[in-house]
Amino acid sequence: MATTPDPQRHDVVFEEPTGPLAVPGVGAVVESEFASVSVRLDQSGNSVRLRVEDLRTGRVRFLDALELESIVWLEDGHLTQLLDPSHERWRG
Amino acid sequence: MTALLPPEIEGGSRFDRLVQPARVHGSLYTDPSIFAEELRKIWHRTWVFVGHESEVPQPNDYVRKQLADQDVVMTRDKDGELHLLINRCAHRGLQVCDDKAGNSSSFRCPYHGWTYRNTGELLGYPYNKGYGGKNKLELGMGKVARVDSYHGFVFGSLAAEGPSLDEHLGAAKGEIDRLVGLSPDGQVKLDAGWLRHRTRSNWKFLAENETDGYHPQFVHGSIFGVTGSPIGALYSDNSTAVTRNLGDGHSENDLRPEFRSFAEPMRWFGTTPDRVPGYVAAMHEAYGDDAQRRMIEGAPHVMIFPNLFIAEIQVFNIQPVAVGECVQYATAVQMAGGHELNQRMVSQSIGSVGPAGMLLADDTEMYERNQRGVEMADPEWLDVRRGLGRESVDAAGFTIGAATDETGMRGFWTHYKSLMEAED
Repeated sequence: MATTPDPQRHDVVFEEPTGPLAVPGVGAVVESEFASVSVRLDQSGNSVRLRVEDLRTGRVRFLDALELESIVWLEDGHLTQLLDPSHERWRG
Repeated sequence: MTALLPPEIEGGSRFDRLVQPARVHGSLYTDPSIFAEELRKIWHRTWVFVGHESEVPQPNDYVRKQLADQDVVMTRDKDGELHLLINRCAHRGLQVCDDKAGNSSSFRCPYHGWTYRNTGELLGYPYNKGYGGKNKLELGMGKVARVDSYHGFVFGSLAAEGPSLDEHLGAAKGEIDRLVGLSPDGQVKLDAGWLRHRTRSNWKFLAENETDGYHPQFVHGSIFGVTGSPIGALYSDNSTAVTRNLGDGHSENDLRPEFRSFAEPMRWFGTTPDRVPGYVAAMHEAYGDDAQRRMIEGAPHVMIFPNLFIAEIQVFNIQPVAVGECVQYATAVQMAGGHELNQRMVSQSIGSVGPAGMLLADDTEMYERNQRGVEMADPEWLDVRRGLGRESVDAAGFTIGAATDETGMRGFWTHYKSLMEAED
């Protein structure tokens, strides 16, 4: 999927994040000893989205504004369920 | 190695023979079986200082800590509650957390993916059909049985039953009160980072030394000379300072009589009010007429049994490793609302306990030579009688000795003996 934003389609073009937590070409990295993901804004679609990449596997997911809002409103118990390794990724 | 007891002291309990009013036996520092017994009867039973709440300020923060031989993860859960987890997976016993610190609502063991909430509760495991589905295992990370804190100082006890932290701290609480009373906001932080000093010495040499007012003029002559510090003179027979047995193994060098006689604010810190104007103004704002007294009397110099030493501007966390090895963790006290005082506290701490510091390194040289010394055969005993004939009882009922007396050590040994004589 193309990730280069088309300046004609957007009023604002976000720059690559910089700073100690940013990796050039990867974006800002959110990591702990348990997981490592990069996050950056993607403007290749008609609305801006969040591009999240699991840096340990290369798997990528795009999250749109409504999906992100839903995560914010997710009950803690539901979020905890998602952290169960058997829930999706290592389902028996 | 001093392991055999002379015949004239046979009889009584084992520790009656080893710990006497005026002397203690060398084997207490060298015998691996005594160290193993100390782990059971002291370190795995009594309240042990582990860390400070300010090390995990945000929900889901965690830090790795030691509680004697136990690798512990201090966590703050999403609701703000503190936990001390034993860093061990309930599946195959692996260490779950490896980083020194982090922020995570859950911990995933790298071996087979077992995942725990930061409260220690088992959240899930991969391929759960092998266990008959989800939530089928009544397992979790181990927890330190009791966790409590006083003014942010976090203590843990591996014993489910026993005296409360309040009872354990006893009169030493007043010394922590004194420390936080020097913060305009009434609280301290220990968030400047801990220096870790491996020390090839039995832990008790450190606990005894911390309120030994006899050694500073010898061991610390270099730093007193270089800095022009007036503190050295407080540890002499001319000093009005006292060594106080606070009970329960705790002791202090109370330097307030000297500082009161000078009546100079910030003398305890080796500075003057005009050099820390923001701090002094904030103290007056916070405490009004009482600010002057606080800044004259200064911070405590107190050893809280078995492993928390508050040395005015810095805090030491002593953890045993083996009979002849321990670790000293040291950090600078940071006063909430302390303005420019905090940077100075860090600078002074670097100068005293930093990698090239002049205070801790000198003490550690003594600890390690002490350890080598007691491994020699003769004489078998260490003398702790200094000042025994000139002790008195103060207005609060505590035994006090002169500034250079071994009153603190004797208090340590009395409490040590009572714990070691308890049932296994």
